[in-house]
Amino acid sequence: MRPRPLLAAALLLAACARGPGGTARDAMVVATTGDADVLLPPVTSVTTGINVSDLLFCRLAEPTASLNTVDDSGFRPVLARSWEHPDSLTIVFHLDPRARWQDGAPVTAADVAYTFGVYRSPDVNAPLAPFLGAIASVTARDSLTVAFRFSRWYPEQLYDATYQMRILPRHLLDTIPDAKLATAPFGRAPVGDGPYRFVRWVAGAEIDLAADTAWFLGRPGIARLIWRVTPELASAVSQVLAGEADAMEVIPARGQLERVQGAKGVRLVPYPSPFYAAIVFNLRRPPFTDRELRRALAMAVDRRTVVQSVFGPFADVAVGATSPMQWIWSDSVRQLPFDTAAAARALDARGWRRGGPGGMRARGGVPLRFTLLVPTSSSVRQQAAVVIQDELRRAGVAVDIQPLEFTVMERRTETGDFDAAFVSRTIDPSPASLLQWWSPGAAANIGHFADPAFQSLTAEALRAPSRAAAAPLWREALGRLNDDAAAVFVFSPRNNAAFAARIQGVTIRPDSWLATVTSWRIGGARAGAPERGAARP
Amino acid sequence: MLRFAVRRLAFAVASVVAVVVITFLLVHAAPGEPMLGTPERTVASPETIARQRALFGLDRPLPEQFLRYAGNLARGELGMSFVLHRPVAAVLRDALPNTLLLGGTALVASLLLGLAAGALQAARHRTRTDALLGAATLVLYSIPVFWLGLLLLLVFGEGLHWLPVSGMTTPGLGDDLSRLGRALDVARHLVLPAASLALVQAAAFARFQRSALLETLGAEYVRAARARGLGERAVLLRHALRGALGSTITLAGLSVPYFLAGSVLVESIFGWPGLGRVAYDAIFARDYNVITAVALVSGVLVAAGNLLADVALAVADPRIRLGQ
Amino acid sequence: MSPWRAAARRFRRNRPAVAGTVVVAAMAAAALLAPLVTVDPLAQPDPVGLQDRPPSAAHPLGTDPYSRDVLSRTLHGAQVSLLVGVGAALLAVTLGTGVGLAAGLGGRRTDEVLMRGVDVALALPRIVLLLAVFAIWDRAPPAAVVVLIAATGWFQTSRIVRASVLGLKQADFVAAARALGSGRGGIVRRHLLPHVAAPVIVSASLDVGNIILLEAGLSYLGLGVRPPTPTWGNMIMDGKDVLLSAPWVALAPGCALVLTVVAFNLAGDGLRDALDPKAA
Repeated sequence: MRPRPLLAAALLLAACARGPGGTARDAMVVATTGDADVLLPPVTSVTTGINVSDLLFCRLAEPTASLNTVDDSGFRPVLARSWEHPDSLTIVFHLDPRARWQDGAPVTAADVAYTFGVYRSPDVNAPLAPFLGAIASVTARDSLTVAFRFSRWYPEQLYDATYQMRILPRHLLDTIPDAKLATAPFGRAPVGDGPYRFVRWVAGAEIDLAADTAWFLGRPGIARLIWRVTPELASAVSQVLAGEADAMEVIPARGQLERVQGAKGVRLVPYPSPFYAAIVFNLRRPPFTDRELRRALAMAVDRRTVVQSVFGPFADVAVGATSPMQWIWSDSVRQLPFDTAAAARALDARGWRRGGPGGMRARGGVPLRFTLLVPTSSSVRQQAAVVIQDELRRAGVAVDIQPLEFTVMERRTETGDFDAAFVSRTIDPSPASLLQWWSPGAAANIGHFADPAFQSLTAEALRAPSRAAAAPLWREALGRLNDDAAAVFVFSPRNNAAFAARIQGVTIRPDSWLATVTSWRIGGARAGAPERGAARP
Repeated sequence: MLRFAVRRLAFAVASVVAVVVITFLLVHAAPGEPMLGTPERTVASPETIARQRALFGLDRPLPEQFLRYAGNLARGELGMSFVLHRPVAAVLRDALPNTLLLGGTALVASLLLGLAAGALQAARHRTRTDALLGAATLVLYSIPVFWLGLLLLLVFGEGLHWLPVSGMTTPGLGDDLSRLGRALDVARHLVLPAASLALVQAAAFARFQRSALLETLGAEYVRAARARGLGERAVLLRHALRGALGSTITLAGLSVPYFLAGSVLVESIFGWPGLGRVAYDAIFARDYNVITAVALVSGVLVAAGNLLADVALAVADPRIRLGQ
Repeated sequence: MSPWRAAARRFRRNRPAVAGTVVVAAMAAAALLAPLVTVDPLAQPDPVGLQDRPPSAAHPLGTDPYSRDVLSRTLHGAQVSLLVGVGAALLAVTLGTGVGLAAGLGGRRTDEVLMRGVDVALALPRIVLLLAVFAIWDRAPPAAVVVLIAATGWFQTSRIVRASVLGLKQADFVAAARALGSGRGGIVRRHLLPHVAAPVIVSASLDVGNIILLEAGLSYLGLGVRPPTPTWGNMIMDGKDVLLSAPWVALAPGCALVLTVVAFNLAGDGLRDALDPKAA
């Protein structure tokens, strides 16, 4: 009856509207599950926004693939053609005169000074502002020379001066008051100096960039980049598998990874992620005030099984408060072993004996029980929490898992209203990010970990003149953190990017997957690629 | 008649006001903060968060916040989205047309399908057609719209690859196609989400239409008409059409809440950039201003739908407007 | 024969309606017996080896991404759906009847005030309010879900009851009862309620299906009754990411939902036909 003509119409539509087979020939389509918020580097804080604005705005210098944040050799010139250290508190950058904004105006030292002002402005509230704390001033000496003055000497000065800020166009923005920058129309139609320029942003649907063929550091290999927003993860992956998208930054969730692994024409490229997940104990709350108890809990958790069951081969057991992206990661870091017998002995020794129902431990009538907060935004942490709950139950410890919405959990941990929290930390290439989370008095040190040895080790490591000298110090500090069992460092997921076969020349710098996109290419042959609409294996 | 309509309009406005107040209170009374400076990649210090709170006036007492919001609303100012860094009005402006397109298409399709199926069932009362269609409408009426969407996605999108699995347009085709081409592209993407919404509602309409027609078909004068020799079809047609316009408007008006509810689910599944998705994201990110604006828009749509339905019913049945 | 008896006979003769009732009863039985006949729905006996396993002898409906038995979770999920569906429908009907009676029997003023309120309430977008409340209320117990769904859904019932009462107020038998000295309460109990009962019962039984679907929608979005407690909605949420690799995870709860709602609708249709034979 009625349904049949409709079906016929649908098929007709499907046939008519088939555009050029698959994606546009010269474009790389990136599948993403979240839209950008705003395209202004100091303000943008979601993944897609960061990825896109990273290609529109440049840094003074970029880290090389090794992510060596200590030595000068770890950086290559971008907006700054060269630099020198006239004294221990100053770096002088000489800008490349070929660098241009996309409206034709040259990139000048005044832009750099203006940018520093914006990043540090309390009205802008840039999340990265605290990382620029050691920079006392940025002054333009002439149109192509800019001087950074630091408040103290430390080896990572160059890293701080270049990594955190992406330079903004003063001549287009300085008439806008700082408080209105985030909501100004510029953030939705930006003008940058990067290898790609902004073309269009259809809210909630797509963002288009086109290559700047006259870019001063060389023409990008791929002519167009298109981000396609697909909120359902499975659908986003389907688009990659069907040839409707060419790349995806991370394939989370094991089931999805397995789908991509089995598919033809799509490959997985693994790379270290900047995340680690840890169960942080609130050291101010009993029973976690007891160091031996914490150590016992840590030894009762078989982290390898947790990682295996949640991720399969797609994550590493965290060696400590770091991820394989950082150069301090090493198997030599001292960790607590998985040893249920030792854990049982330690718990018995501290008075927590088995006796309750189900063999649970108690001391003086008080059961050994705590609540673990887990954010609903992370299904992998929820899964891991369930496995850990089970392992601890077998050790006689009762764990209540409380899933909370992300911002609610943030509040609870901020105010110290928690027993244990399953958090994920994002780190940047510099090991100094360790201090952000673990130094006493740091706002983000939610468990209130404090260890004088840790402090002195890290202070020394920060002053060490070279990577070789700093590494053992950092690793010893990580070891001390593990010894104290301030947290159970569970996993660091391995990112797996997916790429269609036509995207070639791909290398991934772990801190930013598109950092080297200018050297990628779209392979010539369309012949091998199946037409959209054809069934995929 | 006019007095009736005006009174109904007054209630509609009162409802909208009630919606705004209730939502504002609910959303602000809750634990949790708008996602200010808590990005996935970097960490905002408590000082940063505190400054942002002050910037948005979130540290003021609740009554003051409400008065400020109400004042702005009266001036047509919907405020700023904390998460998207855009005026809420701009967010709605981008999203609402897409939802209206999806909802409108689904509504029209469901009316056509449903009313026709219901009429057919009534005409073929107690035959196998009636039974088969009845079973089909029963099952469709009982399916959760999100599960139907997932099934359609699985079969037509992933399985057969006839239709796209997500989005409203094919990316990057904006410049390459003519206007007709672009419209066809959107139409292709519209099929699955609209079908998910429409099929369930069509079943509801069919059930209603069937019983409504059977009622009138049993009435005395229909029997008399039949006795006079008018064919089955003429009888059916005349009576189906007599109430057609009125009942169509009524049904359409009353179905607005279902399409709104359905769009929240269907838009997430199919990545359709509409109001439903905006609502979903805003609720989880505690984007207060967006949530209250969406409630306002939904309230207006539902109130308008009810108003239309009431007026259509009153036109058809004078007892209603006199009795009130 | 009393009208109720006649109605019961008509219902018994309606085969689909009886089938629906049987299925509902079976679901209820399954929900009640679930803890006794199936494994723990939250248990993860083998987190590594048992993820997303297809149906087998040990796990007749397979396992989900968290290595839990799907059959057990489906049966336990029936508890939430039935509890919320029937509970909220009953509560909504009670609220609606109460308000409708008050409006119909009270004076002009009461009627005006109450019905204006209902008119305003009818325009509230139920889904947006429920979404907002449950997004904020993290661990809403099933009771809260019942109460809130009922609280947003009694308006139509109150209108029906009020209309019925207004119509009956004029009826002869009520005047006669008054003349004979029956108090108001008596009149309500013995004369009004039975007449009002029919449309209310039908409306309630047809409502149950919609409420079950509403709750499923909320838990599909991760709201309301939250994981790891199994509900059919949140099982579909778990299953949507593995739809292609492990379709049973989403199919089982989906089929259960459709089956249950169809059954309630069949029973509701049957009730309506039995209580008002002209509409058959």
